[in-house]
Amino acid sequence: MDAFWIILTGSLVASSCALLGCYLVLRKMAMVGDAISHAVLPGIFLAYMLAGTRSSVPLLIGAAVFGVLCTFLIELLTKRMRMQNDAAIGLTFTFLFAIGVILATRFASYAHLDQDCILYGEIAYVPFDVGWTLDIGGAIGVLEIPVAIGILSALLVGVIALIWWAYKPLFITTFDPAYAAAIGISTTFWHYVLMGTVSLTTVLSFESVGAILVVAFLIGPAATAYLLTDRLPVMLILAVLIGILSAILGYWLAVWINGSIAGAMATVVGGLFGLALFFSPSYGIIGKHWRKAELS
Amino acid sequence: MIVNVPNPVIEVHDLTVIYNRKPALWDADFTIPKGKLVGIVGPNGAGKSTLIKAIMGLVPLSSGHAELFGKPLDEVRQKVSYVPQRESVDWDFPASALDVVLMGRYRHTGLFRRISKKDRNIAFECLKKVRMEAFANRQIAQLSGGQQQRVFLARALAQQADIYLMDEPFAGIDATTESAIVDLLFEMRSEGKTIMVVHHDLESAYEYFDWFVLLNTRLVACGPKEEVFTQDLLVETYGGKMNVLAKIGELIRENTFPVREDNSPLR
Ligand SMILES: Nc1ncnc2c1ncn2[C@@H]1O[C@H](COP(=O)(O)OP(=O)(O)O)[C@@H](O)[C@H]1O
Ligand SMILES: [Mg+2]
Repeated sequence: MDAFWIILTGSLVASSCALLGCYLVLRKMAMVGDAISHAVLPGIFLAYMLAGTRSSVPLLIGAAVFGVLCTFLIELLTKRMRMQNDAAIGLTFTFLFAIGVILATRFASYAHLDQDCILYGEIAYVPFDVGWTLDIGGAIGVLEIPVAIGILSALLVGVIALIWWAYKPLFITTFDPAYAAAIGISTTFWHYVLMGTVSLTTVLSFESVGAILVVAFLIGPAATAYLLTDRLPVMLILAVLIGILSAILGYWLAVWINGSIAGAMATVVGGLFGLALFFSPSYGIIGKHWRKAELS
Repeated sequence: MIVNVPNPVIEVHDLTVIYNRKPALWDADFTIPKGKLVGIVGPNGAGKSTLIKAIMGLVPLSSGHAELFGKPLDEVRQKVSYVPQRESVDWDFPASALDVVLMGRYRHTGLFRRISKKDRNIAFECLKKVRMEAFANRQIAQLSGGQQQRVFLARALAQQADIYLMDEPFAGIDATTESAIVDLLFEMRSEGKTIMVVHHDLESAYEYFDWFVLLNTRLVACGPKEEVFTQDLLVETYGGKMNVLAKIGELIRENTFPVREDNSPLR
């Protein structure tokens, strides 16, 4: 049963991240997920110090606020100060992360806050934190549903609902922000809707699967799907399937080599991207050679 | 030389745009009457794109304002359509030509509704008008530069607006397509639409447009072509750019357009 919960957790995170990742990749903002996952550290400590408790809700709010603050600072540096986007991302998140490190070293000892357990969740522990029990009888008997499954399912439903509801504004502000603004669609508003959702997703996900896996799922499946199709709806669906496949294959890889589950899942994400890069019919290296051969 | 008109559809007051302390557009003040095909002409970096963006509210204004149909843009956005420069977007995007043209219908259907059959038909008709119907389902990355330009044009048409602001819509387009599109613009003008076009080629400009905005950071002239498209004013617009001046000289020798008399009365 543990295997099932771990794979399901991975798949839920992969799906939410893959969907949002498509927009990040198309907006050339793939590294924002990485930035957010670091920038939330001071938020977690400040929330702890203000609320005086270790319960998840204030910490998540603190983290999410700093995630949005991070995207706001990046936006400010690129739009107002005309800084290169990658430089703005690097500067912002190292600055916020550094503040977090100071807070952590100064206060963590008495706060009993361990950055490893907050920042870098371990997917293998997911099944132990049972939130609900469900007696379905039969061969399975009592089902012990982990807390993470509940949270991540709700998150995925939210992400799907957002993309379903706001498909058109997200599409147009991603492809042609100037035209979107010209017809009266606020590009800033949709930027923050997207970044707020990415922040929330990052924070909720890395609490259970760790930061590395979140960043891998945000970029990898979307970048792979981008190579395989030329329609956005297809790209969204493909990214989700690739994400889920990575979670499943990653789990079995980890069992086989007896290594880190998150590490194995992230490795499979990279491996699938490599395959797509090689074999994609339109962009792939093989595809290009094949077309060249056909022409000659 | 700025010819002002009563009841203008486009009215620009003291418009100034400054990027990083350097003015790109300085104190432009002019009016455009309804139903004209207007050429915006000036050297590279003259602020032509900036002027259009400023009217569309896409860049922060340092001073001044623009009115369309005597109202601020926000009240009449439905009636105004914009064609950005082709280079302003990344065409390597998972969308078809029809997907892009449909964006011109977003405001009509509502931002959160599904695209209707009627929108699809209108979008397809607009692709036909720019002779792109055969490419409706082609991914935009697989179109030539000129074809991408026409997709942008079709998107603007799909908005069914009354004012069109177009930034270099002929860039990268072949001669046959250009003349087809010019015919389309003439047709739109005869329906009472007002169209402002940033255009590069002076020779064809005189043929296409009936009103001109001559721009070189500041407004050099604005008015009907007979009064504004003159050697003096073009020289003033292009400064000392030799190749352009030679071209203007040639044009004048061919007598394609009249030279303004020095003592013509200013209106
Ligand atoms: N976003 C921007 N930031 C800084 N300078 C700009 C920006 N856009 C345009 N400029 C500068 O403003 C001037 C006018 O540009 P533009 O309106 O694009 O000219 P045109 O379209 O006539 O070639 C140029 O000198 C250009 O370098
Ligand atoms: Mg320009």
